[in-house]
Amino acid sequence: MKRVLTVAVFTFRELIRSNILIVWVCSVIGICGLSYLLSILSYGDALKIFTDLGLAGAELAGWMVLLLSLAVSYNTEMDQKAIFLQLAKPVSRGEYLLGRVFGFFTMNLLVILGTVAVLVFMVLVVNGSMPSYFWSSVFFMVLEMLVLTFLGLTYQMIATSMVRVVLYTFFTIILGRLIDEIQWLLEKQHAPILKFILTLVYYCLPNLDLFNLKDRIYDPTLVLGWTQWQEVLIYTFAYSAVVFIIGWISLEKREFR
Amino acid sequence: MLDVYENQAFGLLGLNGAGKTTILKVILGFIHPDAGTVRILNGKIADQSVRNQIGYLSELPYFSRQHTGRELLEYFGALHGLGGKTLKSRVDEVLELVRMTKPAKDKVSGYSKGMLQRIGIGQALIGKPRLLICDEPMSGLDPVGYKEMRDIFLDLKKTGTTLFLNTHILDEVERVCDRIGIIHEGVLKDVAPISKVLGSSLPVDYWIDVDKSEASKLSQLPFRESIHKNGGVQIPGLVLNETLALLNSRGAKVLGVRPLSSVVEAYFLNAIGKPIDSFASHRGES
Repeated sequence: MKRVLTVAVFTFRELIRSNILIVWVCSVIGICGLSYLLSILSYGDALKIFTDLGLAGAELAGWMVLLLSLAVSYNTEMDQKAIFLQLAKPVSRGEYLLGRVFGFFTMNLLVILGTVAVLVFMVLVVNGSMPSYFWSSVFFMVLEMLVLTFLGLTYQMIATSMVRVVLYTFFTIILGRLIDEIQWLLEKQHAPILKFILTLVYYCLPNLDLFNLKDRIYDPTLVLGWTQWQEVLIYTFAYSAVVFIIGWISLEKREFR
Repeated sequence: MLDVYENQAFGLLGLNGAGKTTILKVILGFIHPDAGTVRILNGKIADQSVRNQIGYLSELPYFSRQHTGRELLEYFGALHGLGGKTLKSRVDEVLELVRMTKPAKDKVSGYSKGMLQRIGIGQALIGKPRLLICDEPMSGLDPVGYKEMRDIFLDLKKTGTTLFLNTHILDEVERVCDRIGIIHEGVLKDVAPISKVLGSSLPVDYWIDVDKSEASKLSQLPFRESIHKNGGVQIPGLVLNETLALLNSRGAKVLGVRPLSSVVEAYFLNAIGKPIDSFASHRGES
């Protein structure tokens, strides 16, 4: 576990010192500006605008930072072969992968929580209060980012180029958000081959809709009970574990020429 | 079969593309061999306890540009299980050894090729390895760095560290290695102690410089390989004494004699099936 932590700290330091954070700062400034503009136009719905845009912005910033981190990391580790010297050390490939995931996740956690902190500050400035389930939706977003980080790093172990890693992760985010539509298509489909493909896609892709609580925090009918919490937590850790095992096996099998 | 003995320096020689780096990658577990096995320090490379006793320096090592030299060594030291004061003192020790104490606080993005190579050897030594594996360790080094690196290797030999050097710098092999292996087109052609190599009677060409005014006398020499118009001749080493005597008898003033190749080079070329004579026509100017 000590080596996992060592790799995680090293990875986090590498990411935080790169220019990736500029993307986050730009996102926050953009979100603040847009929120302020829309709140003026919204005549009394400023709080809702702030929270909606703020949460969407935090999620978007998390995705963008993840994609950029994956690109930068692939270039350093795989293309420039920095991984060689690390794997020659007494660290198992599983420890290395887990450490990388934690380093990435810490970076994303910082980005999400940083954006949320700005959002909370803005809400306090307009004398508002956070809606119920606000913090739950932030927590769900963090869980979503954990799943995506495991996936992104696993793609990094499988894919043979930086562009592929970024594209795979990007389309996973898009399709993961369309999981309900894929299910709908699956129910309508009768052609066996297409049905099989859609079933495969449906079960392999992460169900990112499960983590999307932010769109419903103003829904008066929303009730988040212990069952839903259990479902989301079990899904997050089970899916992450399976993806991690696939990534670990891929890294073990991977040859570094 | 290729054996590398403990407490010795082994040099693997080969032309570019001969398969030297591939062998290292197989040894280190980066590439799975098509056939055969690698036993290293009485174990397998997959064992972390084995890797804990190995230092590895890749050719032109690359590091995350966002870290300082010290942070990199601390990271690699921590991967070896070092921590706290032990790690700090070991990092200081290694930085001193590779002459990087002063620039260690700077980010590696500002390092020269030679400095990166020094940090590279530093990370390889951080865990006090029993076996040090280096792929072209002299790449990118200036003459001073080259000498310092060679001194590091010689010091490590004294402390009982086993060295496995992948190189095509024959001078380095001659001065550091106890045994050499020669690989050509993916096949191990020969493994021999350096004493055997240096003691071999393979032909080495020599260059004899004479005064420019006496250059015409060179064309009468029977064993010449090539002649320079300004007064120089290339001759096979086997007839060196005979040629010098001949020049002396003809009253030619010899300004200097120097070998055009080393014995190791001759041995190497012979082993890969390109004896030195086949290269003779490319040397000197006629």
